[in-house]
Amino acid sequence: MTRAPLSWSMRIGLAILGFYVAVALLSLVWTPHDPLSPGVGDGFLPPSVEFPLGTDRLGSDVLSRLMAGTQYNLGIAVLAVAIALTVGSILGVIAGYYGGATDIAISRGVEVFQAFPGLLFAMLIVKAVGPGVVNVILVLSFVGIPDYVRLARAEVQSRRNWPYAEAARMVGNRSWQVAFRHILPNSTGPLLAFTSINAAFVALVTASLGFLGLGLSPNTPEWGNMIARGQDGVMTGEWWISFFPGLAILGMTGAFYLLGDALSDLTDPRRRR
Amino acid sequence: MSDYLLEVTGLSGAFRSPTGELTPVLHDVSFDLRAGVTTAIVGETGSGKSLTALSILGIQPATFVRSAGRIIFDGQDLLALDARALRAVRGRRIAMVFQDARSALNPVFTVGRQLADVHRLYHGGSRAAAMDAAIDALRRVAIPEPARRARQYPHEFSGGMAQRAMIALAALICRPELLILDEPTTGLDVTTQAEIMELLAELARAERLTTCLITHDLGVVAESCDQVVVMNAGRVVETATTEAIFTSPREAYTQRLLAASQLVEGAA
Repeated sequence: MTRAPLSWSMRIGLAILGFYVAVALLSLVWTPHDPLSPGVGDGFLPPSVEFPLGTDRLGSDVLSRLMAGTQYNLGIAVLAVAIALTVGSILGVIAGYYGGATDIAISRGVEVFQAFPGLLFAMLIVKAVGPGVVNVILVLSFVGIPDYVRLARAEVQSRRNWPYAEAARMVGNRSWQVAFRHILPNSTGPLLAFTSINAAFVALVTASLGFLGLGLSPNTPEWGNMIARGQDGVMTGEWWISFFPGLAILGMTGAFYLLGDALSDLTDPRRRR
Repeated sequence: MSDYLLEVTGLSGAFRSPTGELTPVLHDVSFDLRAGVTTAIVGETGSGKSLTALSILGIQPATFVRSAGRIIFDGQDLLALDARALRAVRGRRIAMVFQDARSALNPVFTVGRQLADVHRLYHGGSRAAAMDAAIDALRRVAIPEPARRARQYPHEFSGGMAQRAMIALAALICRPELLILDEPTTGLDVTTQAEIMELLAELARAERLTTCLITHDLGVVAESCDQVVVMNAGRVVETATTEAIFTSPREAYTQRLLAASQLVEGAA
């Protein structure tokens, strides 16, 4: 079984994400300078051979911090999306398949959280539970769950009385087997397509929380933190401190969006050649 | 024990609308399926024949509310069974072939995998062994190149081929005692219809199946069935042998049905 050739948006998206993953892995073992220690050079040094992306206010190497930051920004996005996808899909399938009081409990439950805009909601909870990588991941996945619930619920609801679902019941499958093994696999396309949009959103909110000083501790080389540290320099000419983390966020968000459509194509047998 | 494999007695029920109103659709439906015999349930669209069949398996739509009746299969009342006991009957003892085989097969799994999954559900064993059983079943329903076809998806199957695969699943993988065929040839072209009916007759003989054919096509009934149950508007109108139905129909509705099918000259 061969697949149709990958679309260009898919290839570019995959190439960029592959690059980010490579940088994140590399930064675990090597960065040009210590990303956490201040004063590896003088403060506010412009890009040079020794500091290719310059140094920030505290004299930390921007390139090293940027590389180490990939671990945080990519890791948070991937984990938050994975948790939201898993929990949201499970709840959505249950709501869509069993209907009735179960559906009402789950649907109304998640709608309460959708009453607030995502970023505001994330800010409120992080403020309440405190900073930290685990908290940020949990909060961001929490913000994403309602969308997955609604998507999975609608998908399953529209398919639960299709002949193949009836056939699955006919041969003696349990109801959870029909729902999760026979109906849910038909919905992987839309759910995966949504993960890329969700991942882009998570990447932006992670950086936003960092920028607002709510996410991780201030010295963490998270890109939003880095932008916040360099924001005074933007006005006075030290543009590199905020510019490069901004570019990194832009690249990652863009890559997630590019993957969107292409992901759903890959799961549809009809698109295979 | 009686020589009836399945006895439906006084089955009545209604559809419940979202506002709670009940629309009666089945009225005191009673008929028996004799073991080893092919019985046809004929009637026009909306006469309740498919709903009756789905009720036998307990997979009727959730909006259907049963008000009375018993369905005795091999001495036990299916309507009194709990979910676990019912699952032991579904597929393993009563299987069903659906009208539109292409939508009764799951679009995201290969045909071979779907048959293999059911095989493993009943017998366990390795994936490879289950796939062998699936390919073997496809071969027995005369699907050419079964090993290659097993790796294909339902959308790559024609309607006739998909129905053969569905029959392989219901008759040969499930190995039931009772096989319910819900309009198995509707939507297929005439030559394919004949082939499918021939295949079903052959399998029923080889596997000693009791079959229940639900159809509105009296031509198919005349060729392949021993007993006929005529249904109209949720009621059983007439029950007789095929010969009696075609030569001396008692009820006016049966006579009209025959006249409409133009199988019996001057029946009107």
